[in-house]
Amino acid sequence: MSRLSLKNGAPKEISDEDQCPVCKSSRYLNRNMRFLVNPECYHKMCESCVDRLFSSGPRVCPVAGCNRTLRRQRFRPQTFEDIQIEREVDVRKRVAKVFNRREDEFDSLLDYNNYLNEVEDLTFNLIHKIDVDATEKKLKAYEEANKAAIRENEVLASQETQSLQAQEAAEKEHARLRREAALREAEEERRERAEGRLDVINQLARGEGNADEIARQGRRTLLKKSTARRVGTGDEMDTSDSAGTGLQFKGLRRRARPEPEKPFEPFGEVTVEHEYFVLKGHYAWDFLDTARTSQTYRAGGYDISEYCSRALTDAFAGLAVFVGEEQTAT
Amino acid sequence: MRFNIDELEVLFPYPRIYPEQYAYMCDLKRTLDAGGHCVLEMPSGTGKTVSLLSLIIAYQQNSPEKRKLIYCSRTMSEIEKALAELRQLMAFRTEQLGYEEEFRGLGLTSRKNLCLHPSVKREKSGSVVDARCRSLTAGFVKEQKEKGEDVELCIYHENLDLLEPHNLIPPGVWTLDGLLQYGEQQKQCPYFTARRMMPFCNVIIYSYHYLLDPKIAERVSRELSKDCIVVFDEAHNIDNVCIESLSIDLTEDSLRKAARGANNLDRRITEMKASDAQKLQDEYSKLVEGLRGADQAREEDQFMSNPALPDDLLKEAVPGNIRRAEHFVSFLKRFIEYLKTRMKVLHVISETPLSFLAHLKELTFIERKPLRFCAERLTSLVRTLELTNIEDYQPLQEVATFATLVATYEHGFTLILEPFESDTATVPNPVLHFTCLDAAIAIKPVFDRFSSVIITSGTISPLEMYPRMLGFTTVIQESYTMTLARKTFLPMIITRGSDQNTISTSFQVRNDPSVVRNYGNILIEFCKLTPDGVVVFFPSYLYMESIISMWQGMGILDTVWKYKLILVETPDSQETSLALETYRTACNNGRGAVLLCVARGKVSEGIDFDHHYGRAVINIGVPYQYTESRILKARLEFLRENYRIRESDFLSFDAMRHAAQCLGRVLRGKDDYGIMVLADRRFLKKRGQLPKWIQQSLPDSDTNLSVDQATAVAKAFLKGMSKAYPAHLQEGISTWDMDDLRRHQAKMAEEEIRMLRKEAEMRERERVRRRVVEDEEDEYGDMEVDYDDLVPV
Ligand code: SF4
Ligand SMILES: [Zn+2]
Ligand SMILES: [Zn+2]
Repeated sequence: MSRLSLKNGAPKEISDEDQCPVCKSSRYLNRNMRFLVNPECYHKMCESCVDRLFSSGPRVCPVAGCNRTLRRQRFRPQTFEDIQIEREVDVRKRVAKVFNRREDEFDSLLDYNNYLNEVEDLTFNLIHKIDVDATEKKLKAYEEANKAAIRENEVLASQETQSLQAQEAAEKEHARLRREAALREAEEERRERAEGRLDVINQLARGEGNADEIARQGRRTLLKKSTARRVGTGDEMDTSDSAGTGLQFKGLRRRARPEPEKPFEPFGEVTVEHEYFVLKGHYAWDFLDTARTSQTYRAGGYDISEYCSRALTDAFAGLAVFVGEEQTAT
Repeated sequence: MRFNIDELEVLFPYPRIYPEQYAYMCDLKRTLDAGGHCVLEMPSGTGKTVSLLSLIIAYQQNSPEKRKLIYCSRTMSEIEKALAELRQLMAFRTEQLGYEEEFRGLGLTSRKNLCLHPSVKREKSGSVVDARCRSLTAGFVKEQKEKGEDVELCIYHENLDLLEPHNLIPPGVWTLDGLLQYGEQQKQCPYFTARRMMPFCNVIIYSYHYLLDPKIAERVSRELSKDCIVVFDEAHNIDNVCIESLSIDLTEDSLRKAARGANNLDRRITEMKASDAQKLQDEYSKLVEGLRGADQAREEDQFMSNPALPDDLLKEAVPGNIRRAEHFVSFLKRFIEYLKTRMKVLHVISETPLSFLAHLKELTFIERKPLRFCAERLTSLVRTLELTNIEDYQPLQEVATFATLVATYEHGFTLILEPFESDTATVPNPVLHFTCLDAAIAIKPVFDRFSSVIITSGTISPLEMYPRMLGFTTVIQESYTMTLARKTFLPMIITRGSDQNTISTSFQVRNDPSVVRNYGNILIEFCKLTPDGVVVFFPSYLYMESIISMWQGMGILDTVWKYKLILVETPDSQETSLALETYRTACNNGRGAVLLCVARGKVSEGIDFDHHYGRAVINIGVPYQYTESRILKARLEFLRENYRIRESDFLSFDAMRHAAQCLGRVLRGKDDYGIMVLADRRFLKKRGQLPKWIQQSLPDSDTNLSVDQATAVAKAFLKGMSKAYPAHLQEGISTWDMDDLRRHQAKMAEEEIRMLRKEAEMRERERVRRRVVEDEEDEYGDMEVDYDDLVPV
């Protein structure tokens, strides 16, 4: 520990970094101390302080001068050393969720860049607390106006990350396979060489032929084998490579925009058209008047025109049907 | 000596020429004629540089385009040597031709070596000199001065503006020393004189980095035209230079400094907003328009420039979200903060740039595209803010370069985070290595841009490895043997001790007492029998230390001490140069000395042990790289996957090139002699990977010796060497005068004529044969009918 602190430089820095501003206990006494922050005010405190203070419900931040009410479950470990950045990233997260336009949605690069600039201005204001109210309003308004587009781009983005992950995993797997293949090959070669040597020794032991000749012969066959293998694996690698890239088309657009979904169609594309009559807006049938005026019927969802349409359809239903034909057909 | 190669007249500044020099020149000429690249291995000490220069200068002066020569070497002393050779050659040409050719040859090295400014030149670190010089010479500083502000300028730089821009220095060849002297006399800056005169030079000699390191190359070598002839001398390590030039290491300390730099920028922006908001606004509008480079081109020395970016990207406008200065600085801060959190992890991480970017985006909403523009955006900002104390921003620049590289290259790079310095360390000292794995990336622009690139060295075997690793094709690959009238160097492989135990530095046996003792015996024996200097190379510092302490315990060093002074190389360069000096003195005064050093250290690269400074070199063990290094592992994997180079092949290639490099240290010319000992059982199988010229002198009988046999062979050799060998015995064999050369050329011509005649004969025969066949097939005689006649008119 002492060595660590020596390495990190000035002792003041350490006490700053490793001491809980609330209970003043330091990492020196408690090695496993963890610090948490709450995105409400980003005041950091140690885990045990959080447990102690907030387990019985929300209350005001213990840091002097900070009057915000904090809740236990929003405390989280700090990712960045610099609390300013921690906050900035939270803001960015919010902004990025709303402003997620993509380059291909713009006519020109300049437009896109201007858009980016605009968004950055806005984010910058939020981060540095300049015109917060106006900016927040702008953000809200944009979000309202562009709900659909935001949703769509969100889907696209998540698909992109997924495909990227899939691609990465595939690449890793490929690399692993190739590595194994290489190892196997090396192993094979070692074995063959050992066998070859044994062969030579055996031949020599049997005392057949000229010793030098045999040794030379042995060396040559080994050499031949290894070059053959090298050529062979080369080809193999080639095919596996192309198969690998064949699956992942890098230059291609990852996906086309999805077709807008069609409304649900209960009759499966069959449209019912009235062939023999035209539905009018008003029929002077007095028995309908009650239904037309009475609140009771209307509240139940009774629709006059629906009734008329059905009545007329029924009336003309038999017109195109010829009994003789129907009978022969069945 | 004047002679012709084909139609080209070559002036060679010596009265005699070595046969291999002649062959080398012929091949060079063929390469240049064909307009391609080549890899040539020329034995060390056979006058490679002078042959190269003579041929290329002759080629240049005799062609109407006057193709410029760019000669790249590694160290300053090599550059100086080459310049001296060039100077001598040009003097010879003038004398022979009877008139002085319009010619300029200049060398360029870093400011640190060429600066004359009384206070700047005293800075120790090269980058500080660079930065301080920039703040004395930048364009805006001058503007400020003109406006009457109180700023300091470098007078040596100012004086240059008073001269004609294309004639800052009279024609001729200027060595670095000469340049410095001239600069001092005329009170003009030698560095900028050389830089600015580069477009007007016929020959430029500088270090690799000016062409390979994209950060420098862009600035320095931009204007060189396509038909330049590029030579990489001593290029056996070129792949490593390429890789290093694109690799970046980040530490916690450098991140802290970078963060400080970003905060300073912030402050400066606020200041400027208060005092001179227009400047920032101008920059902003320029970035909106996507205008770029107009004033950048004029700026002769940017703060930094883009590391190897594809051209299309350079033309694109800077992304909208980093256009504003304050946005960009907050962007940088976020990025640095992210890197800091990455450093907190306590286990090793190795990942691809893609996955790094994905994680970065998830945590900080930093996209790839603005990241890619980081380096450039920073340059622009630094210029706009008119920063003078540029050296403070060096770490920030590094981070920006890293950002740009990681966002630009998906392949050929890897990120490795090592939280601990070594496996046993307990205190974290994290380093984030951003490592280039592919040597071809850095050198690709060179091959793309220049039509002839010549890669040459004394030890560059196996030749085919280099085109494979660097991704180019050659017109010629050649390895020359050394023609010797008598054998002047004795390579041998010792595989066993006198006790018949095999010796090796392989991991299992390296600390075996019997192995250590046998190595000790080799040292003792060779110290006893060789006169003057002996150089010993070990595979690593670690092993050297352990074996030395074991030798001490065995009393071996005491015995060695009786014959030679013992000196040891250390990682500290100052200590090492002191050791070298003592070594030289001991060799000069007859005490004799033995230098113990490391095969990958400073001594093995670039320090020569000619004549009595090195009568024997002993390689103890095969100098393999430390294979547990994660960076090396990643590179091996990359080589296997992308270039089909197997791990073991690469490792053994790499070990042997270093071994050969060490052997070459003691032989620096044909009149030199020396013993080359390879002491490890494993060398026996690897001798095929030695350069051809060493193999040629290594008979099978000398490849499997025990220590006592080796001693006997060496003694016999030295006895032979001690006999006087009058120069005239070499004539016609290992050196040619004009007559020998003419005879050789006549022979070659004759040979060629014979070949041509033979070929013609073959062709003739072929024709006759075909004729016969045709005749036979032409049974009906309609072959002779002119079909046009049959067409009705
Ligand atoms: S201009 Fe030349 S002399 Fe002046 S500081 Fe720079 S390098 Fe040194
Ligand atoms: Zn606490
Ligand atoms: Zn608070």
